[in-house]
Amino acid sequence: MSRLSGFAFRIIMVAALAVAAIGAARAEERYDGVTLRVATFGGPWRDLLDKQLSPRFAALGGKLEFVTGSPQANFAKLVAGRGRAPFDVVELLDAQVPDYDQGKYLAPIDLTKIPNKQYLEPYQYNDKMVASWLTQEALCYNTEKFKQLGLAPLTTYKDLAQPALAGHVMIPDINSGGGLAAFGGFAIAAGGSEANFMPGVEVIKSIKGVKFWTQGDQVTLAFQSGDIYAAAAHAGWCLRTKNAGVPVQSVHPVIKPGVVGVAKQGWLGIIATSKNIAASHWFIDQYLEAETQLAVALDEGVVPVNRLAIAKLGEDATLAQMLQLTPELISHELRIDYSKANISDWIDAWNRMISR
Amino acid sequence: MRRLAIRLEAPAGRVFAWTVMALAFLFLYAPMMVIAGASLNGSAHGAIVFPPSELTLARYAAIPASQYRAIWISLELAMIAALVSVLIGVPAALGLVRGTLPGKAVVAAIFRAPLQIPAVVLGITFLQLSYAVGDALNLDLAGSFTALAIGHCVIATPYVIGTVTAILQRFDSRLEEAALSLGASPWRVFRRVTVPVIMPGLYAGALYAFMVSFSDVPVSIFLASPDASPYPVEIFSGLEQDFDPSILASATLVIVFCFALMLVVQRVVGLETLLRTGGSGRR
Repeated sequence: MSRLSGFAFRIIMVAALAVAAIGAARAEERYDGVTLRVATFGGPWRDLLDKQLSPRFAALGGKLEFVTGSPQANFAKLVAGRGRAPFDVVELLDAQVPDYDQGKYLAPIDLTKIPNKQYLEPYQYNDKMVASWLTQEALCYNTEKFKQLGLAPLTTYKDLAQPALAGHVMIPDINSGGGLAAFGGFAIAAGGSEANFMPGVEVIKSIKGVKFWTQGDQVTLAFQSGDIYAAAAHAGWCLRTKNAGVPVQSVHPVIKPGVVGVAKQGWLGIIATSKNIAASHWFIDQYLEAETQLAVALDEGVVPVNRLAIAKLGEDATLAQMLQLTPELISHELRIDYSKANISDWIDAWNRMISR
Repeated sequence: MRRLAIRLEAPAGRVFAWTVMALAFLFLYAPMMVIAGASLNGSAHGAIVFPPSELTLARYAAIPASQYRAIWISLELAMIAALVSVLIGVPAALGLVRGTLPGKAVVAAIFRAPLQIPAVVLGITFLQLSYAVGDALNLDLAGSFTALAIGHCVIATPYVIGTVTAILQRFDSRLEEAALSLGASPWRVFRRVTVPVIMPGLYAGALYAFMVSFSDVPVSIFLASPDASPYPVEIFSGLEQDFDPSILASATLVIVFCFALMLVVQRVVGLETLLRTGGSGRR
């Protein structure tokens, strides 16, 4: 017993030393003179990341810079530069994943250098990308107006086509932030698929007098003015509308059995031509850290991917009411497989049959 | 035409003319009035509220440093674009109007090309070019202020060429001949006769160049970098994911600045004269 204890003690000591050594190595990892460029959204989003992460990177001797622009504009820069870009890390959207894959624009990610991935679900990382946040593309409705009209709460996209809502429904334009996710959601909820989107088109066409928004802020304004009673928009915008004093509630649409809600996933990737691979890993890891995740979620109305941050958000009664805030609920949201979708066809159909 | 003028002088005609003018002003300035008005709104959430529900200057105090920096970068770029386009545009216009080189029409078309090619295409092209030139010269041009400034100069120069060419085509060359016959050197003739006559076109071209550069998004979005992100790009990229109401305040400041600039230019240069003379340079 005592021999076993001695052996166990030695094992524990060795393990402890190894952990300490790794910890020391990590603590000593510095980025002196490294300027890491990150392609991300502009405005408050960039300012928040700057506030959260730049001081941490500066403490390690490096400098963070942000190249701002939409994910589409950043991708265009990458294409124009034939794989080279004036940034090392890029924030991309799920709809862009096939394009990034096709162009082989991303460097492999060494997941062992992303310790915070332990707080993510396995489907939220792979050897090329790590999920960073998601938006929940939901339905938002004015509860008082629905009560006045004697309408039951919305459950799925088809409910937007109720005659009582004619002329008072807004959905995202396909070119807007949540446009592709909503279009895919309409299609799949109506029995179609990424390739067979016509059932969704029929549902959208059946919404009489439907209006389209291009900026989320328009949803808030339209609800405030009483112009609309219901909208398809991400739950963060519904929350902002509620915070603006409009009695709204978000509903995560039933897509099919076992699938409720639509997720638009943001990802982080490292550009294949980056010379700052180690620092890029550091950035991704820090982005996933609970404090950063929580700050981004609270400021920008997105849902974190870090389990600890999700749990923290779930403690807020209003947020818990508006968003799906458990890893299980999130995992059951629809994630559109854009590799099966021909986006040009989607946009073409939209232009020909819906927006016209 | 004269009959119309007489009709407009009648009381009813004057009312009609004023109404049309007021509507035209409203059409032109309503968006700016909404922005300026909404920038004074103090309600808690970030939407555009017009007319403002509570008046406050809080949004002006909340303008982030990044927006001031972006405004400054835009001003720098616009001034460089205006200056460089004048330096390139005036000799180019002189060459086009007075030169005898063969294929002048083709050269003129090439000078106009930046106006005809979609600016987004120019932006992508410049980015590719900056990589190619950077590789050849071993420079880090892509995403630099230099590349951005070059791009702006290219899109701005055709405006100077256009306005100066328009004046030169109506230029009475006997003025220069008279000066030469009186013993002035060619350089003196250029300085004392040609330049003063083309000056309104030069100022107008430079002003256009300034404005085109200051408001450009499609080219800048490809060439901007963290160190050099012009104001329109800053605003555009900031609006895509979120709406920061401080944008309304900084946009109002820019509008006020542009009005002030126009007033100064009008006072100093006399753009009214230019408009009256149709760019002929006669005062």
